[in-house]
Amino acid sequence: MAYISFLASVLEQSSPIVLAALAAMITLRANILNVAVEGMMLVAAFTAIAVGNASGSAALALLCALVASILMSQLLALMTLRFSADFIVAGLGINLLAAGGSLFALEWFYRSPGGLRPITFPDLWHIPAGALSLVPPLGPALEGQSVIVVLAFLAVPACFVFLYKTPVGSYLRAAGEDEHAARSAGIDVARMKALALAISGLLAGLAGAQISMDKLHFFLPEMTSGRGFIGLAATLFSGGLPWTTAAAAVLFGFFGALGDRLQALAIPSQFVLMLPYLAAILGLTFARWRLHLRNRPARILEPAPASGSSDPQRSNF
Amino acid sequence: MRSTVIDLLKAIRAPVAAIALTLAIGFVLVAAITDEPVRAYRDLLLANFDSLGNFALFLNRATPLTLIALGVIFSFRAGVFNVGGEGQLYAGAITATVIGVSLSGLPTVVLFPLVVVGGILAGALLGWIPAVLKVRLAVDEVVTTLMLNIIVLLCTSYLANQIIRDPTSYGAVSALLPQKIWLPAFPGVPGATSGIIVAALLSVVSWVVLFRTEWGAQLRASGTNLRFARTIGVPADRRIVMAMLLAGGFGGLAGTLYVLGIGHRFEQNFSPNYGLVGLTCALLARIHPIGALATALFYAMIINGAAYMQISTDVPRSLVNLLTGLLVLLMTARLNARARG
Repeated sequence: MAYISFLASVLEQSSPIVLAALAAMITLRANILNVAVEGMMLVAAFTAIAVGNASGSAALALLCALVASILMSQLLALMTLRFSADFIVAGLGINLLAAGGSLFALEWFYRSPGGLRPITFPDLWHIPAGALSLVPPLGPALEGQSVIVVLAFLAVPACFVFLYKTPVGSYLRAAGEDEHAARSAGIDVARMKALALAISGLLAGLAGAQISMDKLHFFLPEMTSGRGFIGLAATLFSGGLPWTTAAAAVLFGFFGALGDRLQALAIPSQFVLMLPYLAAILGLTFARWRLHLRNRPARILEPAPASGSSDPQRSNF
Repeated sequence: MRSTVIDLLKAIRAPVAAIALTLAIGFVLVAAITDEPVRAYRDLLLANFDSLGNFALFLNRATPLTLIALGVIFSFRAGVFNVGGEGQLYAGAITATVIGVSLSGLPTVVLFPLVVVGGILAGALLGWIPAVLKVRLAVDEVVTTLMLNIIVLLCTSYLANQIIRDPTSYGAVSALLPQKIWLPAFPGVPGATSGIIVAALLSVVSWVVLFRTEWGAQLRASGTNLRFARTIGVPADRRIVMAMLLAGGFGGLAGTLYVLGIGHRFEQNFSPNYGLVGLTCALLARIHPIGALATALFYAMIINGAAYMQISTDVPRSLVNLLTGLLVLLMTARLNARARG
């Protein structure tokens, strides 16, 4: 039965990363490198606990978390699309604003800079025990998981359908791939980018709510601890394709869960905590290296490839 | 002469407007919280100059910020978005500490340069990794530098807790560095590090290198238009890697000077996010080395001022963290893809 609890922990740890990765993926398809996922997650995590604490309603807490995260995404949209700020700099600004704002709120409203730990907190809906015991091997591992874990894994096909099977999804991809062509085809590029950011805010909001609401029921400053960036790495790693992005995110979740297990074996916790980040760097490097090998003949024919800016996703920054 | 003044005014108009707007929004927030908003704002902006002790802390705060900002400027000018300042700072600090503590028997003339060079090299190594990955494989440097930050922080946490921890002290701190290699105090201000002099000199040197040498021109050309730079025969990849080595080296030097001049030992969590704030300073200075010194001083002023404000009124000091985020958002609205080409 050990594998079931391990699988359960992989699912639990993967779900915020899957959501963060999808959040980064949607914007990447609209040609935005979204470093603000982390900040949106943090805002959602904080809002979830603050509202849950004040209202006693899990549903309201989740809803407000999503709204707060989407509002952050629209602030980013406003600064970048309307006032033409650089996406990366403004994204880092969103992260600082989220970290500073949540800390400020902790100090000002709650007088506790260390964190917000409500004594009682409403539970999210969890899959009841025994409901899926007949569906091996995943069923037992899914029991007891929160509704957000379920939503995270439903979000993968949903994103796929949205991007590839709906007209709006194809406009969004067109806006990301070639702005000028999209514009001359009558697509409102700025609106598509704002939409991508809004969806990204929704997904990041779910991720943040999962982190603070699922098991922990408290908020700590910096509690998202770089998971937004790991999600971003998963997206870049897999070139922005929904299924591979989710697979990469689950792989990082697997490393996280493995890390928790290895902690029992007298390995210093710091090295264990490092695993997903190392995996992200190595994974990205490996993915790029394969691409590099595949493209090599072209590079030999054309002796001066713009390696720094050869990535079409970055050409607009 | 008159046109230089106009140019200067044009250059600082946007950042000054962003700062003014941020301070105005901050004032509204402060007024909502406390009955004494004017007192709070006076402390935020001016309490640094109330006493020599406060002034010393102000100089100490500005030193790492200036150095990190200078490093960020070299990478930005070469078109690399180095978000790894925090990791480079910690790498320099821990390496300097380990060398200084473990080789403390060596004579000063040997030990001091060894510590400084070691710290710089450790930071430079951290700049080199993302640079090579970017130039060779086009791996996104934003992601690699962010990941490396977390990895380095965890590494130093391990070292500070398990390996070099001073068992007689409370918390995860190393043993004290031998006093013979401590930096002398800033002349006339006991308790202030003279590292700020190094930082100020380096900002002038950086300006000369970037804007008055062929090497600097090539570096900037690689950053503004890579394809054009290559076409006119600039070895752009080498300039980019060199810029990142310098950026990391500056971060490492910031960490080294911190342990030599301010902390005198490695403390875990010694940095209140100097990496990102240094980056903010560089952006606010519109990636100009002399401007970076000015913005670092400004930031040091309000970070320390926030603490005084919290003591004298009930405004939380994290107000400054919030305002920093706001400032970054506001001022990038003008930065507009300048650094990235």
